[in-house]
Amino acid sequence: MTKSSVQATSSPSSRKIIHIDMDCFYAAIECRDDPSVAHLPVGVGGESGRGVLTTCNYRAREFGCHSAMPVFKARQLCPQIILKPVRFEAYRAEARKIRAIFARYTKLIEPLSLDEAFLDVTGHPEFAWKIARQIRQAIREETGLTASAGIAPNKMLAKIASDWRKPDGQFAVLPKDIATFMKDLPVRKLWGIGPKSAALLEEQGVRTCGDLQEWPIPRLIGFFGQKWGNTLHELARGKDERPVEIHRPRKSLSTEMTLPKNLETLEECEALLPELLETLEEDMTRMIERKPFRKIFLKLKFADFRTTTCERPATNLDRSAFAELLREAFGRHAEAVRLVGLGVRFPEAVEVPNKQLVFPFFDR
Amino acid sequence: MKITINRDNFSSGLQQVLNLVPTKPQMPILGNVLIVTEDDGIALTTTNLDLGIRCRIKAEVSEPGQITLPVRRLANIVRELPHSEVSFETDDDHQAKLRSGGSSFKVMGIGEEEFPALSTLESEQTVVLPQLELADMLRSVSYAQSADESRFILNGVYFKLSDQKLTVVATDGRRLAVHSKEIEQGGEKEGSFILPAKTVAELLRQLNRDDNITITFTERQAAFEIGVGKESGGLLGNVYMVSKIVEGSYPNYQQVIPKETHQRIKLERELLLQCIHRAALVTSEKSNTVKMEISPNHLEISARSAEFGEAHESIAIQYDGPKIAAAFNPVFLMDPLKALPQDDVFFEIKDDLSPGVFKTLDDFLCVVMPLRLN
Repeated sequence: MTKSSVQATSSPSSRKIIHIDMDCFYAAIECRDDPSVAHLPVGVGGESGRGVLTTCNYRAREFGCHSAMPVFKARQLCPQIILKPVRFEAYRAEARKIRAIFARYTKLIEPLSLDEAFLDVTGHPEFAWKIARQIRQAIREETGLTASAGIAPNKMLAKIASDWRKPDGQFAVLPKDIATFMKDLPVRKLWGIGPKSAALLEEQGVRTCGDLQEWPIPRLIGFFGQKWGNTLHELARGKDERPVEIHRPRKSLSTEMTLPKNLETLEECEALLPELLETLEEDMTRMIERKPFRKIFLKLKFADFRTTTCERPATNLDRSAFAELLREAFGRHAEAVRLVGLGVRFPEAVEVPNKQLVFPFFDR
Repeated sequence: MKITINRDNFSSGLQQVLNLVPTKPQMPILGNVLIVTEDDGIALTTTNLDLGIRCRIKAEVSEPGQITLPVRRLANIVRELPHSEVSFETDDDHQAKLRSGGSSFKVMGIGEEEFPALSTLESEQTVVLPQLELADMLRSVSYAQSADESRFILNGVYFKLSDQKLTVVATDGRRLAVHSKEIEQGGEKEGSFILPAKTVAELLRQLNRDDNITITFTERQAAFEIGVGKESGGLLGNVYMVSKIVEGSYPNYQQVIPKETHQRIKLERELLLQCIHRAALVTSEKSNTVKMEISPNHLEISARSAEFGEAHESIAIQYDGPKIAAAFNPVFLMDPLKALPQDDVFFEIKDDLSPGVFKTLDDFLCVVMPLRLN
């Protein structure tokens, strides 16, 4: 009966959405806590596991370093890079402070990860632009960190906008500017369009959202499938009605890899497991609250775009269990594999019962 | 010892003391009943160390003595004996011999010296009242006791004696029931104690005779002398119960009783109970809620759950105040309605986050905290 998500009650067209994105969040915290390295190229991560950067600061980015880059490559590009170990507890603590700042302006907060969140400030009398500036200022004063903000009538545009004046800046897409803004926006910027889809579209002569707007719905559906085709038709026009959801109980967490070349053998697929597993573990560490999962699953997409998923109950990430799932999934179709994904499923969120109030003496 | 006793009297005496004996006692002696001869009968005593009970029944004593015997086994045997006259005798080896008609039983016992004696309370704190009145009072509050053992202070009924009144109180933190009564004998005394839930249940089982009860209490124990009245079924004098009390201080319950009445409606108790009961048929474990909404001349009771659906019940009332609604756990509304004997009850309500209060023309009230709807 009760839906656990609370949605903005205002009509979609009049919404004021802010997307706040912390600038190089982890690296910024490391530089703040060790000012002696703040002016140097700093990367976070890379000490353990398969050795990739979790993130790096702007100084390191000038050398071409970026997140998810293998450490050896980062060192080639920037031999003097300083590597700091990952301290998720410290990052979580800052994330909590930042969320408390958001809460001063609205209850409608949808965190996407530790370092970014959507805020629906439709109900706030102040201009969203001014709220975003106040929030960024409070974050700077209270945590010593900088944030960028995007302001728009919906989530997709707000997220694109927060990237526009990064770092430490803000940008607004006003309703009257949406059409112009979308026309020249590269399709790659759209939510859900990865490098591979972008490349496929490029082959079709589509580079900007303006190009994509030329496609009628049947063509989009023919290319992307029923559901995704319809969604893209909206997104390409800057329309996005998704509400800012405050508790979106995470049902699963997964990571997947679209392969540069389709894989023909089980062994080739198996060789991907360690890296995927490590990414999955890392993603789980980044959740603001770690929670136990109850199932693991593995997904394969075949050369003919058919998808299959195998799952089994499990409470830990055991490589051999994933290998067994892979064997099962691989055996289902005699096709080459173009995508492998791993994930975990969390227990269903229980319906929140009405709260029984108690006498004051009982609370103590 | 050697006695002759009526089978049915013996059986009903054993039934009086049987209830508090656990089926698996922590010590064998606690599974036994102590039988002691007196001038005109025998005394039967059992205890579980927290609560002890003793009754006296008529018997012809030809040789005094005492013994302890397994009470459940003995009660089963006595009930089944073929003849109404039973001869009962013991030997030095703690064995009892029962003869009735053509039946004869030998039952193994334990020496009476091992049996923990019931204490007799020496206290000035004594109050006397008709036992049926106390039964009414206890019934009207006992459902509100807490069953949560981590809140042991609330696992009982609070007895308070002051201002010529006896007050009994029970709460589990979500509802509170209070019932007071003027006391004629002993009402000038002051004092209080918390009677454990199990003793309350046993007391309610005993309080069914047209006679008085005398309550005596100290800082550690409370004792009850329950008169057996005229139709006694062989019982003599009174049934004596002595119980430990819950140690600790009871919360200041008065602070949760609303001081002012905002809106009050008068309702037929039976009708209200039936309506809530019906509405609650569609509730689920997850949404165990009924909504009470009063508007001019109308009370609507409604419930809904995702799994089962909706229910709406309407009752005509005399009311011309503002529209008010609040949601409650249906059980918390039905419990007092089931326990009360009155035809009419009053229900008081303020808003959706304030408690609802049942009252009767007697000195009774039950405060029920609402549910906040998500």
